[in-house]
Amino acid sequence: MTNLLNGPQTLGRGRAFWSAAAAVLVVALVYPLFVDSYDVGSTAYFLCWVFMALGLCLMWGYNGMMSFGQTFFFGVGGYAYGVIEINLGVANGGAMASLVAALAVTAVAAALLGYFMIYGRIGGMFFGIVTFAVTLALAFFLNQTAGPEWHIGTARLNGFNGMQGMDPLALPWFGGDIDLEGTAFYYFVLVLLIVVYLLLRLLVNSRFGNVLVAIREDPLRAELLGYDVRRYSLVTFVIGSVLGGLSGALYCSWGQFISPSSVGLPAAAMPVVWVAFSGRSDVTATLIGTLLLIAGFQALTIYSEQWALILMGVLLAGTVLIAPDGLIVSLANVVARRRARGGAALKPSLQER
Amino acid sequence: MAALVQTRGVSKSFGGLFAVKDVDLAIEDREIHCLIGPNGAGKSTLFKLIVGTYAPSAGSILFAGADVTKMPAFARVARGMSIKMQAPSVFRALSVRQNLHIALQYHVEAHRIPAEEERLLSLLGLEVDASRPAGELAHGQQQWLEIGMALALRPRLLLLDEPTAGLSPDETFRTGELIQRLNADGATVLVVEHDMAFVRQIATSVTVLHLGQVFARGTIEDIISNRGVEEIYLGSAHDA
Amino acid sequence: MVADLFSDFYQFADVFAFLILSAAGLAIIFGMMGVINLAHGEFIMCGVYVTSAAYHAGLPLPLAQACGAVVAGLIGMLLEVTIIRPLYSRPLDSLLVTWGISLVATQGTLIALGSTFPGIDTPGHSFSVGEYSFSSYRMVLFAASLCVLGFVYVLFMRTRFGVHARATMQNPGMAQALGVRKGIIYAVSFGIGTGLAGLCGALYAPTMNLIPTMGASFLVEAFVTVVVGGANVLLGTGPAAIALGVIRAGLNAWYGQVVGEIGLLIAVVLIIRVLPDGFSGWLTRRTS
Repeated sequence: MTNLLNGPQTLGRGRAFWSAAAAVLVVALVYPLFVDSYDVGSTAYFLCWVFMALGLCLMWGYNGMMSFGQTFFFGVGGYAYGVIEINLGVANGGAMASLVAALAVTAVAAALLGYFMIYGRIGGMFFGIVTFAVTLALAFFLNQTAGPEWHIGTARLNGFNGMQGMDPLALPWFGGDIDLEGTAFYYFVLVLLIVVYLLLRLLVNSRFGNVLVAIREDPLRAELLGYDVRRYSLVTFVIGSVLGGLSGALYCSWGQFISPSSVGLPAAAMPVVWVAFSGRSDVTATLIGTLLLIAGFQALTIYSEQWALILMGVLLAGTVLIAPDGLIVSLANVVARRRARGGAALKPSLQER
Repeated sequence: MAALVQTRGVSKSFGGLFAVKDVDLAIEDREIHCLIGPNGAGKSTLFKLIVGTYAPSAGSILFAGADVTKMPAFARVARGMSIKMQAPSVFRALSVRQNLHIALQYHVEAHRIPAEEERLLSLLGLEVDASRPAGELAHGQQQWLEIGMALALRPRLLLLDEPTAGLSPDETFRTGELIQRLNADGATVLVVEHDMAFVRQIATSVTVLHLGQVFARGTIEDIISNRGVEEIYLGSAHDA
Repeated sequence: MVADLFSDFYQFADVFAFLILSAAGLAIIFGMMGVINLAHGEFIMCGVYVTSAAYHAGLPLPLAQACGAVVAGLIGMLLEVTIIRPLYSRPLDSLLVTWGISLVATQGTLIALGSTFPGIDTPGHSFSVGEYSFSSYRMVLFAASLCVLGFVYVLFMRTRFGVHARATMQNPGMAQALGVRKGIIYAVSFGIGTGLAGLCGALYAPTMNLIPTMGASFLVEAFVTVVVGGANVLLGTGPAAIALGVIRAGLNAWYGQVVGEIGLLIAVVLIIRVLPDGFSGWLTRRTS
């Protein structure tokens, strides 16, 4: 177990790293005691987005699949949560069931799209282009659904105005549900994030993860070692995309609202910026970098959303030109080299050769 | 006893041109079979047909008694084939140890992998380079690492496409010894090769391909004394 | 009867023109250099804005449209020389960089010019066949799309530049050894690609509302045409636009725009399952 947590596919090992991680966790746990619940709520909102970045990191950094469709699955997960929740109602665990059902819907969508692309041997750039086109088309479609005829059960999609009226998540508990709002929602998302992060660490260092990086490095060689490359890639695509759907469903529960602008441009570029900037080859780097960027972006948006987006564009282009492996991974490598006095980098470069 | 690998009337055409035409080939269990022939004879194509990276235009391929014609490459590997392609293709960004690990984990239980890694590292003489990225190794070392990965699968049939390309004479000789040792341990080996001295060192039987068809077959002595074989080699040398 | 047939043709021609005009520039850059330019939509937007500005400055529309194409082409060449060139060996990275540029361009335009810009009235008149009436400007667009295909064909098959460009496309090292100046070929090709994007914007400028994010509305069609067409502009883009045009126009006519857009995408996903290298890859394999 500890071997898998600290395996060769992840940065951050040893006592120093885990002590620091524990300290951060403690701060995250006591933090709601010191600030008002509005701020706690907006921190929970940041955390919602991180799942989507971790999913992209898994697909792109570990398996080499450049998916530009994270907001597609964000939209599928978010709208599915809304539609199902509005129809089921919040009582008797309905909201939690809606979350699970939304993830199932996302998984089916990812399996279908992934099957056609991966088994059609669409790779590299075209994987990005096709997922991007599908994402733009979903945004286009959702924008056209303003009329009253666009409803599923009692849920109206509402076009570009966005869907609303769903309840937030509630945790079924002995003697009544716990509404997950404000601080309760924060703790819920925090626990979920820790669980997903640790599971991803286990996954990428497992036998499965070894095959993923082998496929990233050389798919033909991986196949000739007996691995069914396309099945591994499809499973990865489903996992990564479901994490996108999880972000969407949580977001929808947080604001009781979702609109096509969460799917289309410029939203679709954001996960790509976060992961490229942080360093797609590592889940920890992605986690840290994504949180930093989202917090920075929100702080700037207060002054000007346009300038914040321009900064994101500059960061994307700049990272790729200057530190193609991502800023956080590159920094970690510099530190590692210093310490080992010219030793090897912790993370192999993923630069195209 | 039936042959381990049999191709029956196998052909492969690319846009109407036959690279391999109507080839019947039998590789007996436990032999070292060399596939030779001048450039463009169809050796590599036939190799890829057996491996499964190409699908034949006609004919069928049997492996260990089963028809594998329509099986993808990974399923053939699962049945006991193991392959080293012509160009060295190791996982360049991963360490030498990780390369072996990924190959080993296919069969070997997790707790026995470290010991197997050490055994292979010393067999390949790569102990000191174990934690270097495989892409940084010298060409010959990469070739060896890849043979090591092919071995890690514990194959019944080891398929090697030009295993000595780019190796020094000394490395070539040691590769030959390695192949013979594996064969003594029970593996059947099919080698596509240019280097006749190497073929002479290892082969128990030889098939000569010419223009996509079987030109001659027999023991190495039969082939060396066959004037026709000499002529197609010389002929192609003149053409070239 | 004749009116119905013409109406079907008109629907198809409208979609075909949109596919060809939005995809041609993207396809040339992809075919020549293996780069997908994700700022493609912003070059289209640039063509629209320049056309409108020139038109309102008093230039006649066709001249204003020429300005749109030329400016987009020049900016494209500048971009190639400064940023894209070091990235040819890293096509996936070039995708990300051009996406970053696209974000900057869209938001920068929004800041500089605001969220709306004066538009242009659609020129030409409507004409009627039987009981239906049609816009003559849509026919101009159809003719323009055929001209673009013709231009690309003549450029690559009948000019000295085309010979050098095709040589570079097949084997850059060898072409360079034979004295072809790769740098100029690439810069000019990139400029032609973005110039065609600008032309697309210029031609559609009189039919649309001018907003800085309008480039995105061309992207889906441009992407799918290039994906289905494959790497060879001459072989792939035309047939892809015909096939997709028939599918899209049919779905539009029977089920409306929304189903048309979704159906187009489903068709594309099905096509690439069967033809992973697109039409041109398939044709090349059939004939080689």
